[in-house]
Amino acid sequence: MQAETIDHIRFTTISPDMIKKMSVAKLIVPDTYNEDGYPIDGGLVDQRLGVIDPGLKCKTCGGRAKTCPGHFGHIELVRPVIHPEFAKTIYLLLQSTCFSCKRLLLTDIQVKELHPAVKTFVVAEDLEETAAVDITSLTSNMSDQDNRMILVKKLKSVKKCPHCGEAQHKVKLERPTFFYIDSNKLKPDEIRDWLSKVPDADLKHLGIDPTATRPEWFVLTTLFVPPVNVRPSITLESGERSEDDLTHKLVDIMRINQRLEQDIDAGAPQIIIDDLWELLQYQVTTYFNNETPGVPVARHRSTRPLKTLAQRLKGKEGRLRYNLSGKRVNFSARTVISSDASLSINQVGIPRKIADNLTIPIYVTIWNKDEAKKLLENKEYPLVINVIMPDGTRKRVGETNREDLIKGLVPGQILERQLIDGDIALFNRQPTLHRLSVMAHTIKVLPGRTLRLHVSVAFPYNADFDGDEMNLHIPQSLEAQAEARYLMQPKDQVLSPRDGRPVLFTEEDEIIGAYMLTRDDAFFEKDDATRMLASVGVYELPKPAKGGVYSGKAIFSKLLPEGLSFEAKTQDGKTIIKNGELESGVIDEKMIGGGGGTLLMKIYDQYGADVEMNFLLNLTKLALHVTAKIGMTISIKDYYNSDEINKDREGIVKEVESKANDILERYKQGKLERLPSYTIKETLELITMAQLEEARHMAESVLKKASTIDNRAFLVTKVKARGNILNYVQTSMLLGQQSIRGRRPNRGYSGRILPYFKRNDKSAAAKGFIESCFFDGLSPTEFYMHAMGARDSAMTKSLVTAVSGYLQRRLINAMQDFYVGKDLSVRDAGGALIETIYGGDGIDPTKEMVVEKEK
Amino acid sequence: MSKFEDSKVVPGEAVGTVAAQSIGEPGTQMVLRSFHSAGISSVITTKGLPRIIEIVDARKKPKAPVMEIRLEKGIEKKYEKVREIWRMVEEVMTSSLISSFDEDLKAGTLVLHLEKEKMAFYEITGKTVASKLSKKEGVEVSQIDSETIKIKYMGKTTQATRTAFVNILNSPVIGIRGIIKASIQQADDSSFYITTSGSNMEEVMKIEGVDKWHLYSNDIFEVLKVYGIEAARNLIAHELSDVIAEEGFTVSFRHIALVADAMTHTGGIRSVGRHGVAGEKESVFARAAYEETVKHFTNASVFGERDTLKGVAENILIGKQIGLGTGRIKLAVKKDDLKKIKPKKGD
Repeated sequence: MQAETIDHIRFTTISPDMIKKMSVAKLIVPDTYNEDGYPIDGGLVDQRLGVIDPGLKCKTCGGRAKTCPGHFGHIELVRPVIHPEFAKTIYLLLQSTCFSCKRLLLTDIQVKELHPAVKTFVVAEDLEETAAVDITSLTSNMSDQDNRMILVKKLKSVKKCPHCGEAQHKVKLERPTFFYIDSNKLKPDEIRDWLSKVPDADLKHLGIDPTATRPEWFVLTTLFVPPVNVRPSITLESGERSEDDLTHKLVDIMRINQRLEQDIDAGAPQIIIDDLWELLQYQVTTYFNNETPGVPVARHRSTRPLKTLAQRLKGKEGRLRYNLSGKRVNFSARTVISSDASLSINQVGIPRKIADNLTIPIYVTIWNKDEAKKLLENKEYPLVINVIMPDGTRKRVGETNREDLIKGLVPGQILERQLIDGDIALFNRQPTLHRLSVMAHTIKVLPGRTLRLHVSVAFPYNADFDGDEMNLHIPQSLEAQAEARYLMQPKDQVLSPRDGRPVLFTEEDEIIGAYMLTRDDAFFEKDDATRMLASVGVYELPKPAKGGVYSGKAIFSKLLPEGLSFEAKTQDGKTIIKNGELESGVIDEKMIGGGGGTLLMKIYDQYGADVEMNFLLNLTKLALHVTAKIGMTISIKDYYNSDEINKDREGIVKEVESKANDILERYKQGKLERLPSYTIKETLELITMAQLEEARHMAESVLKKASTIDNRAFLVTKVKARGNILNYVQTSMLLGQQSIRGRRPNRGYSGRILPYFKRNDKSAAAKGFIESCFFDGLSPTEFYMHAMGARDSAMTKSLVTAVSGYLQRRLINAMQDFYVGKDLSVRDAGGALIETIYGGDGIDPTKEMVVEKEK
Repeated sequence: MSKFEDSKVVPGEAVGTVAAQSIGEPGTQMVLRSFHSAGISSVITTKGLPRIIEIVDARKKPKAPVMEIRLEKGIEKKYEKVREIWRMVEEVMTSSLISSFDEDLKAGTLVLHLEKEKMAFYEITGKTVASKLSKKEGVEVSQIDSETIKIKYMGKTTQATRTAFVNILNSPVIGIRGIIKASIQQADDSSFYITTSGSNMEEVMKIEGVDKWHLYSNDIFEVLKVYGIEAARNLIAHELSDVIAEEGFTVSFRHIALVADAMTHTGGIRSVGRHGVAGEKESVFARAAYEETVKHFTNASVFGERDTLKGVAENILIGKQIGLGTGRIKLAVKKDDLKKIKPKKGD
């Protein structure tokens, strides 16, 4: 598919001669359009540089606005100016070469000593490439920062030139572009003369490649002018033209250049010429980089800073990161997502509207010619939108030309067909934090306006349905479709590459359902059991238990693959599955949920992805039935506490408060023992806080003892279906200690947090201890304390997201080139060896857990 | 085929990206997880992410260096011996041994009143303190009694005298530089070990009885200096894995090890970021697309650099397929085989 490939790209500087050769026009008029709105010859939008107005023709290539690629021009500067981005390199060169003979300030012997040996030995992929490696690039490449620094340090201290014996002067660089020698100004033309005399051989010692660049080119005598395509002007509604920032800057440069020329010709005094020269330098500096330190930013009339060359490339919105590393794509859709339990995990439901608009190419061959014909004949829904001829022309299918196209259908044509069920699509949710954020789903066209996915697959995307949007991409090439189908479907991504644990599992209601189904006291009437099993496609009842009822365990066993054996410890005891029968114990979150998914892994390992996926789907359906059957619901009553428990709560509060007081007493008497590496005051705070936080744990154990699973609010935390016990404690017992930055609240008014308290009040409540619960409601002061804590955690949260986002960007940038070679070693893009064998054993992280279990 | 063979990584797999994601993804979750328990003190911790960044950044000095000193077989269960070593480890300042001091700047005298309890705790006598202090230049030390030490020093100005006195108060009497605090801990097997805050491996190693094979410090550059690059690599991996585990996440060790290897495979420690691994890549485009775009382009032109477009970033830039995963392999069909599937003419 790739007719022409780029082998490599080499970076060099351009010489003035080269600029002139590449240029199609010397620009002389510092203006753009004349009164008639026609480009001025020799102006900045000269028609030889290409055209952007429709209707005009390029004077160089004759192309129109869309076909002409644009051509470069040039400006001849009357006086040379320093290229600001190379000022540092110039400085380095001036410091390291002789003032008089322009040789490197080192003797030949010293040069040899400093010359680093071959530093990086590039290991090529195969033998052919090894032979082709450029020897010079291995030996003369001194780009290593450290080595150059050593060199420059040494050169700075040289007093006398070792070649001609001349005493050296001190060169100074005043940012950004002014050079001084012994406090006399060095003018750009003098610098240019100096640099042009430095011999090639000496440049090599500094690591500069003389075939790529000559240092005198760092001082500009001609300025390369980019084509108009690069800096298009916009025509406003009023008919006024608004030029690009670069054009503005170039106009400025040319204006100063022209004035300088006139003044020189007129024999103006040196001071005026120097001033203009400096102004020209300023304009050129800001043309290259309008953020050069030490230079006032050039501004647009509206005081907006101009976006010049460097700004176009730099940063997140710059050319590289915005347009080149990230590209916009066709064949994609985005809308709100919602859940659909009747879909398979591998499917995605798409609205008709999307199916109508997106297409997939059908490559017409002799084998599918008949099917293609049928498709083309369709007058409704799965329509062919376009026919692409072998020569690349695209024809839209309409009522008028359909018959002709059907007649003219030959192998080699490509039909662009609307999406139908079974097509493959990539599905993505941002932020794309890991590879499971993009997976391939088969399409199911559904009524409605949202994209639909199975609830269990929401976890790897980290999606919920409160308004989340997701993106859909249709891979176009057969190769891409095959890859998506065979590697990227959720069924192939069951195990996380992070730790080898399942990312597709049951959650919330499903866990409750599975738990309630498999409890020892779970029995179902015949019609219930029949209904439940029929919902998952099992039409055979298990053996009934005593009394003609069916045990939940037996019903559950119907889902298990044949011959499965499994054992695990649970909160209540032990779960044993033997020969595909759940003999004892319950199914809990650890086996089928996010807490490890051990049962799922076992099935995946023994029976493969399809069986596991099927089990998961059926389990989901069955468990939801059970949840509905038992009437899973939480009411306010579940958070109501009896008087006894309320008494317990008072007792707990009293106990921790008195213990905290004891600590304070001990501190006052100086008996408190200092914790290592903390001051005595910090120790007091820490111990007190730990003591007060203990209240929650005490409340937790009281509640745990008092509650049964008939309390559904407690049940969900017990089976780890939703929330943790702390949520329950805080709702029905007490909130406990609030904290700000890991400490008790300690700021506000002098000696107190709120004016409600007395100064220096050491009580727990005054320091953010909340003894109420959400059920009873918080007192005003407690509410305030809670709000402070909540705000603090909201702040830290948003801060850490930014930090961790940057961490991930850095990690990916550092390691994205690493791959596993045929010998299972890890190598980077250049072939350098990172690990001799991946992970020390060459095992895939998704299969790691399975292998471990084998032992 | 054995399960082992079946479990091997597939050649071409983009393990670097997977490793980076595996560490980065829980990083974002470290925050999101505490969301539901907003305002609860016990959950908030700044330990996790900042420490990961500290390691990955290859900071020269960790914010909180710590050491764990194991002792040689034979003495590790004898408390007295352990205590002897412990005393040699912790750095004790003069100021933490005295109850008060009197200074007379005009006369140039400083009288230290040593505190009995503290002296006993560190098992130091006034004599040792005196002899230690007398080693200072221009200082005259006389011991008045077991708890009082008189020091004479005359500076050129009163200010100089005062500075000298402050220096004396803050000068270490015993212990190793940089070890702020040491404490004796007991392991499950009833052997003792010492944990310290502050790290100085070189000096601790010199103490007799210290098990040099099991000396632990979380200061990566110190470990590099003392034990070498392999040890530093292991330490990076170990520390990262500890922090992540502490936050309650499971990340396969191979991902963490790969980060450590990426940082150390050159023989030195490079940070993950613009001054390290990412900033030293061969490709100009890869570096420019990351950070400091203009700098990399201008430098590349000076040195005549050549970008061979092998990495991921470069190929995305020029719109070519990347050379990882399925993009690494090419499919070839024999000409003869092609003929077999060719249909008859006239079809």
